[in-house]
Amino acid sequence: MAKPKVALFDLTDCEGCEVEIVNSKYIDRVLEGVEFVHFRLGQRTNRWENFDVAFIEGSVITNHEVELVKAIREHSKYVVALGSCACFGGIAGLNNFTDVNEGKRYVYGKEGEKIDVIPVKPLGEIIKVDVMIRGCPITRDDFDKVVSDLLMGKIPREHTRPVCMDCKSKGNSCLLLKGIPCAGPVTYGGCGAPCPSSNMPCDGCRGPLETPEMSAELELLKKMASQDDIVRLFRKYAANAQFFKEVGGGKQ
Amino acid sequence: MNVEMNYITQIEGHGKIHFEVKDGKLDVRMEVHEGARLFENFLRGRRYDEVAAMSSRICGVCPLPHNYAATQAIENAMGIQVSEQTKMLRRLGIAGQALQSHGLHLYVLAFPEYLNADGIVDVYMRNPEAVKRALRIRNAGNVVVEIVSGRAVHPVSSIPGGFARIPTKTEMKRVVKELKAVLNDCIETCTLAGSLKYPDFERKTEYSAIDDGVHFPAYDGMIVSSEGVRAKAEEYRKYTNEVYRPYSNTKFSTRNGHGFFVGAIARVNLFKDRLSPKARELAEQFKFPSYNPFYNLIAQAVELVHYAEEGLEIATELSKTIKDEKVEKVVRAGTGVGVVEAPRGTLFHEYTVDANGIVREANIITPTAQNVQNIEEDLYALLSKNMNKPREELVRLTEALLRAYDPCFSCSTH
Repeated sequence: MAKPKVALFDLTDCEGCEVEIVNSKYIDRVLEGVEFVHFRLGQRTNRWENFDVAFIEGSVITNHEVELVKAIREHSKYVVALGSCACFGGIAGLNNFTDVNEGKRYVYGKEGEKIDVIPVKPLGEIIKVDVMIRGCPITRDDFDKVVSDLLMGKIPREHTRPVCMDCKSKGNSCLLLKGIPCAGPVTYGGCGAPCPSSNMPCDGCRGPLETPEMSAELELLKKMASQDDIVRLFRKYAANAQFFKEVGGGKQ
Repeated sequence: MNVEMNYITQIEGHGKIHFEVKDGKLDVRMEVHEGARLFENFLRGRRYDEVAAMSSRICGVCPLPHNYAATQAIENAMGIQVSEQTKMLRRLGIAGQALQSHGLHLYVLAFPEYLNADGIVDVYMRNPEAVKRALRIRNAGNVVVEIVSGRAVHPVSSIPGGFARIPTKTEMKRVVKELKAVLNDCIETCTLAGSLKYPDFERKTEYSAIDDGVHFPAYDGMIVSSEGVRAKAEEYRKYTNEVYRPYSNTKFSTRNGHGFFVGAIARVNLFKDRLSPKARELAEQFKFPSYNPFYNLIAQAVELVHYAEEGLEIATELSKTIKDEKVEKVVRAGTGVGVVEAPRGTLFHEYTVDANGIVREANIITPTAQNVQNIEEDLYALLSKNMNKPREELVRLTEALLRAYDPCFSCSTH
């Protein structure tokens, strides 16, 4: 059987999700089991042909990238949004809540106004996305699961488990009970709760659950945090995701 | 001749190189077209304790130095002192990050072309042991960073004043075990890096790093250089002079009107005598200081040995002495600069915070942003020397030089 043809594209981002792929326990099986036809970070020769699976990492923040992702979609059987930049617009999406022209002047001076920066949207609002691997960064385990599912012709299913479940399984004591604002109850779990395990609140990097209990969460947060801090909590790595945007996109 | 290299593979981020000979005159441009995420724009308005985690998102290959530089900048802005244990943990974290980053860069991005391979898959098919060695080095780095800072990519536990979670003695013993196990792989990487055939090219430039007076450059210190610079980190703007050029989303740094070099070769050239014993022996063997920019790869391999040995020393001590430390919450207005050595060189973060702890001004200058001017100058010299060679050879040399710098355009543009 021919090896599945895989492409890995990076848009504007930190490339940390690709780094997590290298960290995968099964990276040797991936290297042996698929044919990378497009992988800019890893090889010199890259071809545009029909991809069985195309991973897209990063945020679409230039006009060039809009055209690029449309072309990738046309060439691909499955498109996987790799990481929260692709899934939700990521941290670059925070510019949506600022005056971008003023921001460009602040960073580059007056001449910088010409730099191409468009409002950031989740990839799924630009092209059809078949699978999301969430997180900033993704977890190696999620990557392994998605790859093995896709190679068996299965579309991985999303679950409905909040980060709280990860905290429970780690034996962490609840930060909210200690009065520390935490996005865990409304955030898509499965990350292993690295932040609460380090005594730091979940900052929602994996985006919202399918049906998050936002009003209950906000009611709880209001008891321990200012409106500004609640806005900041949801204005991070998935600030342009549904549900989070309604809070994080609000006035500070 | 007019050459546009628009799709350069095996580098972190997106850059183009354009070179042209017109009327006998060579023109070279390093055009970084990585999208501008404008970190300094949206960090304004954030709370002081959010910037470390948020700014680490600048780079997934070297997030930890951003995390620590931001934390240190906030501490300096608020006049917060940290304990000796915190400094040791931060030096250990930086050592772990160097293993992750150099391990990835050398084997995945840089070595393949010297091994006549198309890429990492090709190397793996022919020499799986080399790739497995890279993965073992990276894995050791991952374990160090996970234990010290809570996560391998995008650390979580660094807070102004110290760490939100202090590793246990048992965890430090695990670090000792991992680093011991990987030391030989680091030495073998040096042997491999030293056996490759690099282009014959030298151009002496200014080499710059930080100096804390005691250690090989890692965490905090004065700005020092081979041209006699010795300045406080707060004066970094005077020694970087960033300017915007419309062909690049990365700003250019110069010193006295010329480029300078930060990163592994600069650190090894300047501080060979502070390397760990085995690394120093190797640096002598490879005859550092070197003025061949391609030797940055050998310098990275030497540093793998150094950071593994130094990490081992720190973790061994901490495995006996580490204890919980409570971090007191302090919020004060002020401006502070943080400086660390990232794998690719000196990294500056500066923040101005108001009395409520809200960031009002932000400025970040990354190693690659400091190197782009020197990259252009080296490309000019390298191409001038080789102008009689065929076009494909010039393209190959240009790409190889760029990779030798280990540029990070996600960082430099941020």
